[in-house]
Amino acid sequence: MESPYLEMKHITKLFSKVVANNDVSLHLGKGEVLALLGENGAGKSTIMKVLYGLYHADSGSIRINGEEKKIRSPKDAMALGISMIQQHFSLVPANTVTENIIMGNAHGIIDWKKKEQEIQALAEQYQFDIDAKAYVRDLSVGAQQKVEILKALYQQAKILIMDEPTAVLTPQEIDSLMDFVKSFAAAGNSVVFITHKLREVMEVADRIIVMRNGVLMGSLEKDKTDEKELSRLMVGRELVKTKRDEEQQEKEQADCLVLKNITLKAENEIAKLEDVSFSIKEGEIFGLAGVSENGQQELCEVLSGYKSPTSGTIWFQGEDITQSTIEERISMGIGYVPADRHKFGMVMDMSLSENMLLKSSFKPDWYQHYFIDKKKLNAYTASMIERFDVKASGPDDLARSLSGGNQQKVVVAREVDNGETLIIFDQPTRGLDLGAIQNVHETMFGEKRKGKSVLLISTELSEIFDLCDRIAVIYKGRIQGIYQHTELTTEKIGLLMAGYQEKKEALV
Amino acid sequence: MNSKFRDLLFINALAVLMGLMVSGIVLLFLGENPFYVYATMVQSITSDRYIMAEIFVKTAPLILTSLAFGFAFQANLFNIGAQGQFYVGALIAVSSSLFLQDKLPGVIALVVVFLLTLLGGGLWGAFIGYAKAKYQASEFLVSMMSTYVALAFMNYFLRTFLLETKGEYPQTDPLNPSVWLGILVPNTRLHVGFILSILIAVGIYVLLFKTALGYRIRVVGHNADAAKMAGINEKKIMVITFVISGALAALAGFIEVNGVQHMLVQRFSPGVGAAGIGIAILANAHPIGIIFASILFGALQVGGVMLGQTMGIPSSFVEIMQGSVMIFVIASYFVREQLEKRREKRKLKKVVAA
Repeated sequence: MESPYLEMKHITKLFSKVVANNDVSLHLGKGEVLALLGENGAGKSTIMKVLYGLYHADSGSIRINGEEKKIRSPKDAMALGISMIQQHFSLVPANTVTENIIMGNAHGIIDWKKKEQEIQALAEQYQFDIDAKAYVRDLSVGAQQKVEILKALYQQAKILIMDEPTAVLTPQEIDSLMDFVKSFAAAGNSVVFITHKLREVMEVADRIIVMRNGVLMGSLEKDKTDEKELSRLMVGRELVKTKRDEEQQEKEQADCLVLKNITLKAENEIAKLEDVSFSIKEGEIFGLAGVSENGQQELCEVLSGYKSPTSGTIWFQGEDITQSTIEERISMGIGYVPADRHKFGMVMDMSLSENMLLKSSFKPDWYQHYFIDKKKLNAYTASMIERFDVKASGPDDLARSLSGGNQQKVVVAREVDNGETLIIFDQPTRGLDLGAIQNVHETMFGEKRKGKSVLLISTELSEIFDLCDRIAVIYKGRIQGIYQHTELTTEKIGLLMAGYQEKKEALV
Repeated sequence: MNSKFRDLLFINALAVLMGLMVSGIVLLFLGENPFYVYATMVQSITSDRYIMAEIFVKTAPLILTSLAFGFAFQANLFNIGAQGQFYVGALIAVSSSLFLQDKLPGVIALVVVFLLTLLGGGLWGAFIGYAKAKYQASEFLVSMMSTYVALAFMNYFLRTFLLETKGEYPQTDPLNPSVWLGILVPNTRLHVGFILSILIAVGIYVLLFKTALGYRIRVVGHNADAAKMAGINEKKIMVITFVISGALAALAGFIEVNGVQHMLVQRFSPGVGAAGIGIAILANAHPIGIIFASILFGALQVGGVMLGQTMGIPSSFVEIMQGSVMIFVIASYFVREQLEKRREKRKLKKVVAA
């Protein structure tokens, strides 16, 4: 039998406290698109970073065309035609596209005109709408990814590894990326596509490798498998779609939160929020759909008290809280799961129990004669770890040592407990694996059943449709309309998110 | 945990040794045998009770000034001006002592002086914290420059209101023995201030790690945005942090004046603030670590002085010793981390192999 183009054999990679890869073997053929599927922390990125020379395996070997190769650094990998596009791009924003692409491969005097022409031609060859002279900082995220791809192409990559390439893209950009992957592979190159999204796998891959907890769970031909089997391999159990309670209480509920004509506008700037009005009832999940950066973050900041609105009023349980401080709002029972947990939600260098204390450090419950009641706090944290299925060894673990999904569970646990009346979820499941997403969704339903109000801000439409009772669409800081969830279709909401206003049928 | 602690002791001892070795090379250039010099140093500081006590006399103010830096550092603030706050403390301590020594019984006078020093240092710090919180002035620069203001004040007072009765030198009259800090070990200079500074270090540890205020200070230090989102008023925390930090450094002035000098002279302990910064960094701003790091530096200082006296080695050699020890101790932190990682990996390998 002919040996495959690339083989990785019995790779084991240990980090100090985790087995990232345990005896993983895989192979890749020419012209093949291989999907590496697994939840966050399953070891998919690690095994590819070993291939790219960023990590060094503790044991195992790599063969290319049947010949054993030592890959010590990305430079070695590139020399072998292996290129990897990281999840977080490695571009210099202050430099041009051309400068970024030739970086590390240029010597002596550079003929910029010639290089620019070369790169422009390369971009056109793959139908990338990129100006070689543009500065990277001016490009959208999707375009930056194309620059990364061009960089790999310029280095004549034969094996292209992409780590979660669709996480930051719009649906249209995803489509064009998929087209590129297919045509690149059709030209005899190989692609490794790292993802945790089943849909993408079924669309683009020829063969699928599923990983879980650092171990290879299976290698499957796409034609011989389905999403159900894949998700079972990936999570270890079949996913149940969270079901909404169909027995909707029809009786009129009181308003919990009312926003009236909220505007946020800095001087000489366009308004971040313009005349935003809506209300959330008790026991309701209210969805706010929209493409990101259309005012969602600002709305959260206004609601949490981080910023004061320029005009307008916020009523919470019949009380005007427009001028209330953050602390007052927390003690009124408003929980907030921020989209950017690294910035607003957690202290990475503190322990889990200290992070649980973050929002309630003003409540006397946690103190005994001025001293933090460490025992009580640890017991509470341990119980939350258990209840929310956080993968951690205990309350004294540093937040930093947890995976992103588990960090998010900690924030959700804290805010759900603190938000006794209203919980704001801003992009609560972004970047989470399926198990964690399900966990968060179930939590939201559970809190709704208890009579709490939930504001769910999400760019993920399926999430909005699955969970929300009423849905508002935000575009450039304005509410495009408020609808019952049954009134909207994906197409209709898509148009609203893109800024097309409907003709006055909106139910306000 | 156990092996971690063993690493800590062993690696730090090794680092100190390496630091001494490197500075030993400098001794070679002086034509001295480093082994002989170090042996003499160890012998001279251990053979005599007075000199051994002197180590802790030097340690006490170092603990306080490094606490001043380390405490602010926990809130991600830089108090570079401990030297100035030290002068403020010394100035308040000496003037209030001179004023109160004939009016109040010794112990009560000392308590009042102690409290006045805290207040003065705290206010001095509050000004820095307020400038930072209100006007976003760089606390680094404000605290540093305020040192020169404090120095100018001190020199002015020493030439005017506080000038000795003889009027000869710019220094104060000696304090009445009633307001001296008590001596711990007879026939040495080791005074109550040493115990006080250790108690304060422990107190600061408790404040930082066991109380709500300390918790909030650390939250602001690690992530100011998250702190604000959690309802913590970070501006208030900044001012409070600087009040405490300033008071700590001022206390160093109090224990030096009332415990050692018993008067205020010009050019008084000029390096105590800067040494505090180094010690705090060495101890990773941890209050308990600061105690041990300060003892180490106290010993090096005394050892250096002894070398000058007995062997005629230039006094600047002390600084070379301190500097190279510091480099190695800081580097050893990374060595310890690496060792810890390897140990965890070995454990994992056994699990994987099984």
